[in-house]
Amino acid sequence: MSVPSILIVHSDRKTQRTVQRILGVTGYRVDVADDLDLAIRLLQNSRPVLVVFDGSLASPATLIEAARANGTEACMTLLGPASADRIPAILGLGAITNLLVHQMPILAEELVITAQKLIRHDLFGVEKYLLWGTDLHTTTLTRGSQRGELVAQLAAQVGSLGQSARISSMAMLAADELLSNAVHNAPRDAAGVHYRKELPRELELPLDERHQVRLRWGCDARYLAIEVTDSFGSLDRDTILSALATNNVRDSGGGAGMGIALAYRSCDHLVFNLAPGVRTEIIALIDVRHPPAERVPASSYNVFVERSS
Amino acid sequence: MNSGMVSPPEVRGRMTITDQGDALHLAGAIDEAAALHELPQRARDGHLVLDLAAVTFINSLGVRDWIRMQASAQKAGLAVELRRVAEPLVHQLNMIIATRGNATVTSFYAPYQCDSCGREESLLIDAIAHADRLIRLDPPPMTCPECQSQMAFNDFPERYFSFLTM
Repeated sequence: MSVPSILIVHSDRKTQRTVQRILGVTGYRVDVADDLDLAIRLLQNSRPVLVVFDGSLASPATLIEAARANGTEACMTLLGPASADRIPAILGLGAITNLLVHQMPILAEELVITAQKLIRHDLFGVEKYLLWGTDLHTTTLTRGSQRGELVAQLAAQVGSLGQSARISSMAMLAADELLSNAVHNAPRDAAGVHYRKELPRELELPLDERHQVRLRWGCDARYLAIEVTDSFGSLDRDTILSALATNNVRDSGGGAGMGIALAYRSCDHLVFNLAPGVRTEIIALIDVRHPPAERVPASSYNVFVERSS
Repeated sequence: MNSGMVSPPEVRGRMTITDQGDALHLAGAIDEAAALHELPQRARDGHLVLDLAAVTFINSLGVRDWIRMQASAQKAGLAVELRRVAEPLVHQLNMIIATRGNATVTSFYAPYQCDSCGREESLLIDAIAHADRLIRLDPPPMTCPECQSQMAFNDFPERYFSFLTM
């Protein structure tokens, strides 16, 4: 019962083996189930730190419920690009905190990073997603109107690294939405009121130390990574999952959560690191290796919540 | 390290609106500072023609104001034509259906890449002249301006052209 473990639930034997091999490096015991019934039985005798399952599983809600009831911290769905149309249904469950969309077999590095973050309880920092030696550029936003300048500088610098206009454009949109969210939506008072949410965005807004927002970014020729951190920690898991599920971003005129929805759709992988009441760190990863027509046509996400000690 | 400052970029300049022939030419970023509400008032003879080639960026606040502008034009009975729509705006037209309003897109930019030399270009597609191809999700052929080889469409046609299907 106490042996730390990871549970893989997947019907495809080759994917099972690949994922088992990848997650085996964590040193945790890796259990494998072909189907839901076996998975439920395994959950009765273990409490895996992570349950990894096939995105096309027939009844994911049953599995998630069983895992949660058993105290499992995180569930991760694996999805191939051909199954990207399943994403709205997965997001609609409101309970999948980690989704990796990749050509199968899964990209090892993202799977390992996700598992290690959960196992080590070490969530924060864009460095985890970049190769050793990657320069990180850091800037602090000290007034609201600085957002436009910073985003423009980011785009210019990304362009000067030899990245395409398309990559610069994606970086601009992701950075702009995340910074805007951190400046205007994150601040919350003791009564739970987001007191800057309704302020006009064009208003000049000096940011004291409490309200300042940190932007870090770097590129390692695999990913362009953009990290935005506020010191309120007011963004919660349910709000994030609801915003990501805003599939009617295609149908409606926007509104609450649209910034996060657009940021998600303008990058390849969006990572939320949450320390409730302390800080929120959001990392947008843009894959710079492939031209648009060779990219995976959907985005991955992770929501990590720091345990209160 | 703290990031070194680069020269002030033009890419996120405040949006400007200038009269150019029969069209209003929009340039720069469509964001919270863009005065999109002015556009319907500058329509001519019931037509609002927007040249969007120089739009560099649109964020969620720009999208909100864009939708309001489209609704206002629709309410005023204006026929809206979007001409030379830049890629950042095409992405929003694809993601947020409400941004399309009742507008007609007559031409737009699309990404191409040369298979031979690797050059990437954003090239103009005439949506009227190529309507038959576009409805079949078949991008028109383009020639590389650098090596004259055939260029390949550099996105998923079913995704990039979805705004044309309304």
